[in-house]
Amino acid sequence: MTASLKCTNITKLLGGKTVLDNLSLSVIAGEVVSLLGASGSGKTTLLRIIAGLADPDAGEIVLGGRTVWGASGVVPAERRGVGMVFQDYALWPHMTVAKNLSFGLESRRLPAGEIAARVSHALEVTRLGPYRDRYPSELSGGQQQRVAIARCLAARPALMLFDEPLSNLDAALREDMRVEMMDMVRREGITVVYVTHDQAEAMAVSDRIAVMRSGVIAQLDTPQSIYERPADTFVASFIGGFSLLRGSTDSGFFKPASDAGPKILAIGATRGPGTLVVRPEDARPASAFPGNQLTGQVLSRAFQGRCWRLVVTLGGQQLRLDWPEAAAVGSDLPFSLPPERCLVLADQP
Amino acid sequence: MGVAALARGPGRLATAGRRRVLAGVSVTPAIVYAVFAVLLGLPLLLVLVQAVVPGLFDLTAQSTAPSLAPLARALSSSRVAESVLHSLELAATTCVSATMLGGVFALLAQRCNLPFRRFIAVLPWLVFLTPSYLKALAWVLLMSPGGYLVQLGVLPPDVIRAFFGLPGLVFVQTLNLFPLATFVIGSAMAGLGSEYEDAARMAGARPLRIWLRINGPLLMPAIALSLIAIFAEVLSDFGMASTIARVANFRVLTYDIYAAASQYPVDFPMAGSQALILLLLVLAVVTGDRLLRRRADPRLISGRSKSMRVLDLGKWRWPVAGVMLAVATLALFLPLAAIIVRAFTRTLGGGLAWSNVSDGNLLTALTVGSDANTALLRSLAYACCTAIVACLGALVLAVELDRSRTVLKPLVLGLSLGAVAIPGIVLGFGYILMWNRLPVFRDWPFPHYGAGSLLVTGYVAAALPYCLVIIMGAIGQLAPSLSEAARLHGAGRLERLWRITLPLVLLAVATAFLLTLIRTVFELPISQMLIPQSGPPVPPMVTNLFGHDQDGLGSALSLVSMVIAGGGAGLVWLAFSRFARLSPVMSSGAVPT
Repeated sequence: MTASLKCTNITKLLGGKTVLDNLSLSVIAGEVVSLLGASGSGKTTLLRIIAGLADPDAGEIVLGGRTVWGASGVVPAERRGVGMVFQDYALWPHMTVAKNLSFGLESRRLPAGEIAARVSHALEVTRLGPYRDRYPSELSGGQQQRVAIARCLAARPALMLFDEPLSNLDAALREDMRVEMMDMVRREGITVVYVTHDQAEAMAVSDRIAVMRSGVIAQLDTPQSIYERPADTFVASFIGGFSLLRGSTDSGFFKPASDAGPKILAIGATRGPGTLVVRPEDARPASAFPGNQLTGQVLSRAFQGRCWRLVVTLGGQQLRLDWPEAAAVGSDLPFSLPPERCLVLADQP
Repeated sequence: MGVAALARGPGRLATAGRRRVLAGVSVTPAIVYAVFAVLLGLPLLLVLVQAVVPGLFDLTAQSTAPSLAPLARALSSSRVAESVLHSLELAATTCVSATMLGGVFALLAQRCNLPFRRFIAVLPWLVFLTPSYLKALAWVLLMSPGGYLVQLGVLPPDVIRAFFGLPGLVFVQTLNLFPLATFVIGSAMAGLGSEYEDAARMAGARPLRIWLRINGPLLMPAIALSLIAIFAEVLSDFGMASTIARVANFRVLTYDIYAAASQYPVDFPMAGSQALILLLLVLAVVTGDRLLRRRADPRLISGRSKSMRVLDLGKWRWPVAGVMLAVATLALFLPLAAIIVRAFTRTLGGGLAWSNVSDGNLLTALTVGSDANTALLRSLAYACCTAIVACLGALVLAVELDRSRTVLKPLVLGLSLGAVAIPGIVLGFGYILMWNRLPVFRDWPFPHYGAGSLLVTGYVAAALPYCLVIIMGAIGQLAPSLSEAARLHGAGRLERLWRITLPLVLLAVATAFLLTLIRTVFELPISQMLIPQSGPPVPPMVTNLFGHDQDGLGSALSLVSMVIAGGGAGLVWLAFSRFARLSPVMSSGAVPT
């Protein structure tokens, strides 16, 4: 029942501003792809276009081999067979949990027996059986989220869309619900497009992540690849606490700007202005890589359990480093970076 | 569904050019906007056009030549000047007195530990829902030279004489309209809470200083809004104009428009000019209101309740409650008592003597086939039709407007918000121009000029704006995702309206329905302008009966109408409230997400 999705050259203008700019995206059947980006990057607009709740100005959308929006025609949202978990869940407050699940099946005039079977299955998968006769207002935030997922599961959609489904939950519940939600979705083998602005969430749920910037996809790759080799400084700045150190490269060496430190060995860009990507966990004692040593002044420190998170300054640029012990604020801290982890990205023109 | 639905796809794919039409996105709004334009836009436009093209609807010498002559004639006429001056005089005085009374009422009812506080809080609503012309007629019964208060020797003849003039009109209008000020200022007070007051107390301010320096200035936008709303309401009022003001020979604009458009000799150009003057005055006031709302702090007029400190009046609480009940007596109970007494007596002059008591008037009003009873049944039928059509229309229009992103949305919203302030008499005049004179509409079979269907159409037009405001407010509270989720689950437009939107805004729809029902049974200006050939509904019949010394039957008819319409609406409301309490959605009144 799950389907592949192919969006080709999607363009959308809102109030004269280009929100999606000739964007293309392919999702294979059963895959989970996240759209990750800041507010205004166009991720929610793309999601609504895929759902059929908004129309693009140009392009083509093919779902399960059928064109659902294109020059040849359009399938309205009601008939696309797409499920969506909304940011606010959009549970109908005047219907019980069971009614919320059966509503869409009744709209499609399925036989009563099948409706009952689907509702029971979805309630069982989401462990909501005991709450079937409750109203949404009588459920906790986590339970409401499970109802929203169960409602989609009961409809057996070709594609499921998640619009920041965890943003309404508190931090403690968020991780539990994320694991539980993706377990259910993976078990059912449904194709998913997942919108979020939280890179940790995107990393955790996705097979691939599309990092979006101003209506285009800046990088589409697996979470590991994006983490290891961000395509450019925009993607690097959006991912997991990376620090960016401006400078220049020459023949495999990187030199920080403003003479903030000596040359160090690096990979990536080979010549000209560039930016060094520093992952906090890559910081090592100065003696570990004596040829790749830098010294910064400690600005602040915060205990994080496994380590201390230090903020150090190098020639006016700040770096975040994970350090095994508490360094004194104001002191100089020599540290080194493994050469193979020192990725330099060429500055964009 | 999923792929199965997609498998049915190719045959069901609409072409790009047709897709919006097939998805039902373009056609329905066009129809809805067209209906709105015919009901409200066109009649008002005709009133404006008629004012500057006076010969347009002249049956003998039709002309499309624009001319400001009738307007100049109106402006230079001492009679019109007198009417305008009277209207402004009455509106300006009443808005101050009613705002003061309503503000004090709101303060005492909300902030003080009065006995019977809940009962006192309901009183402004009861006053507000009682039609103005009925209260005016009741005051005629009470204050006329042979009236009850003279018979009882309560008032000296000098006061009676002064009553039928500006002082009496201000007195009755103040009692009629102070609830508006209570609602507006009370809502602001509820939103204000007592935190600012507490902060001022901590800074050492005494109560008087707190009210002068803190609460007073914070409530100023609400006070100004109240002044403006009451000013516009008095300008537009036809109930008092056609009763006390007419008896007192105190000419005001609304009655002059009615007289020029409906009484022999009919003078459409004059009616049009005066309607234009009235519209411009109301427009100026509404514009002031808009500007003020833009500047007002929305938190203070949002009506959001905050906790507030209740002032302890100590030993004064009973006398204060007594004064408030006395105001309510003058505004509601005394007029109602006069109507009831008159309904159960033979003659006004016979007074309260036991020998004068009779059930004749009431029996006549209740006798099937009598003119009065026919008018009553007619009014109830018209009101039911109006409430159903207006609520359904407003619901569909509200849904359309809520999802609309076109330029028509602010236009229709602006027109409907403005239309709340449009005097009924002007709308009625617009209907006469449109359905009696305008080609195409003149010969339209349904609704047709002179038929009950046109009166119902007029009622619907008058009711649509406030039904729209009430229902739109409720729909605006719904997250768009609720309807979108239903759409993604395969529900079509109608199913979404019926199964998702309607149940969630049922409380607002029921409120609009009952309000329309009551208001329509007692709606005077449009009823008076568009009396069907089959016979009048209750309001014109009552004013007519009072004008022909049949005030006993008029009172009985009013009483029966009030009991049936008000009682019926009350029962429906009680039943609905009970149902609402049982439903968690209705009782919480909120989308839980």
